[in-house]
Amino acid sequence: MARYVRNPLTITWVLLTAVTLVSWLAARDTGSAHVLNVGVTVVVLAIAAVKSQLVIWYFMEVRHAPNWLRVVVTGWVLTLFAALLGIYLIIP
Amino acid sequence: MTDLLQREAKTRGHIPGESSMWFFVIGDLIIFAGYFLAYMYYRGQDPELFLESQARLNLDIGAANTVVLLTSSLFVALGTSAARSEKTADGVRLIGFALTLGAAFPVLKLFEYVPEVLAGVTPGTNVFFMFYYVMTGLHLCHVMLGLVILSFVIRNLRDPARKNISFVETGATYWHMVDVLWLVLFALLYGMR
Amino acid sequence: MILAPARRRPKLDQWLAFATVPFFFTLFGIVFVPLSGMMPPRSPSSSPPQIVDFMQSDSLLVACAILTLCFGLAPLSNAVYLIQIKRMSVSPVFRYSLMVGSMSGAIVGMLFPMFCFGLGAFRTGYDPSVLAMLYDFGYLAYIGSLGCFCVMWLAFGLAIILDTNSVLPKWLGYYTVWQYVTELMAAPVWIATSGPFAWNGLMTFWFAMMIYVPWQIIVYVCIHRSIKNQPDDELENA
Repeated sequence: MARYVRNPLTITWVLLTAVTLVSWLAARDTGSAHVLNVGVTVVVLAIAAVKSQLVIWYFMEVRHAPNWLRVVVTGWVLTLFAALLGIYLIIP
Repeated sequence: MTDLLQREAKTRGHIPGESSMWFFVIGDLIIFAGYFLAYMYYRGQDPELFLESQARLNLDIGAANTVVLLTSSLFVALGTSAARSEKTADGVRLIGFALTLGAAFPVLKLFEYVPEVLAGVTPGTNVFFMFYYVMTGLHLCHVMLGLVILSFVIRNLRDPARKNISFVETGATYWHMVDVLWLVLFALLYGMR
Repeated sequence: MILAPARRRPKLDQWLAFATVPFFFTLFGIVFVPLSGMMPPRSPSSSPPQIVDFMQSDSLLVACAILTLCFGLAPLSNAVYLIQIKRMSVSPVFRYSLMVGSMSGAIVGMLFPMFCFGLGAFRTGYDPSVLAMLYDFGYLAYIGSLGCFCVMWLAFGLAIILDTNSVLPKWLGYYTVWQYVTELMAAPVWIATSGPFAWNGLMTFWFAMMIYVPWQIIVYVCIHRSIKNQPDDELENA
């Protein structure tokens, strides 16, 4: 049992779940009238990027994968979130 | 803990599961990335519409589904690790639990979609809701397929003749991809302002 | 009287059918894009005079004439796929599903638009509102007939992935599953008349094209290899 609890995977999960709960509570407090908020969006996207990278690195075992795969998948995370943030800030 | 590290060191440079599934995963991530970027672009064309539409989404179910998928992914990962260490019974139990948890996702989605549709919020309501229904709908199809795949993984694990760690890893990889896609969707549809 | 042995060119039937595929698709491409201007799809929210002009244009007339003459080649393309699927270890259900999917897809996705646009092009004197209906019908049948193609691509993709005879490469099976996904993404065209989800939209049309065009070329190359590698004694007319 201990091998499943004291396990890098479980620790990663605790982190992921804690961050999700925090974002949920923060988003709830904003109330029903949603207003444009660059700060919140930057934080939300950054958190999503970190969460995605954690799932990919630990759950999908990409940290043990050959270099080219590590580069491609990490590249996806970075490029996607950078582009999302870029579009958000530039348009309109 | 040290034998775990030793085992992990031996797996360096290892692609979990079949490489054709990784082809699919990377391609699917790229295709969805296209959809995500399109969403962000069209959001920029009418931020007020998107903001007031977002307010009508059920954030609680969205967050619950995020935790459901993250936890299910954890159990799939633990189960894969168990299966690799020849602890097949543990593997079956862990992935079985992941499957049960994963099955909660479509149920929660139902509790989300049905009230919305009954309240008159449909894909035709506006472009935000079209994005919402299309993208979460497509993701839901991925989840359903994932549940089928996990069922086959469990079936194969229970049968000594069919046991194949590569198949377990392949199925696990697919399931984690589904989780990652949801993490982005949650941020774009429910979280951002 | 010695009959010339067909054995010397045993796969001639497959190669002939195979050769018609690029001819058909190229012709299709010319007809739909530069000739008639049907593709990229015109706006679903065009005004009635624009629709009337298009439906009665000379270029549409020529396009429909060519289409009427060559649409019979479509079944040949599908037959080429089917012969290879037959070699796979999977259940016959897959090739029957592909067959029925492609048949219904050709009727709804190609013949119906041909009739609609053909009526506009070959017959004069229709009311503008009738032409507008034919315009909608034609485009919706062409792009909205996703169900048939969903079945086709899912059957083809799954067959390739589950096949243990390695007739076609596994990654092609996964790519074909994306074809199925893009068909699903076309569903909103029934609802949206403008924006990214209309039949000429980014999400429903352009992204689908970006995935479809390379797929069609890649499938062609893979089938070529597959026909070439097929052992002669496996042929049905051996």
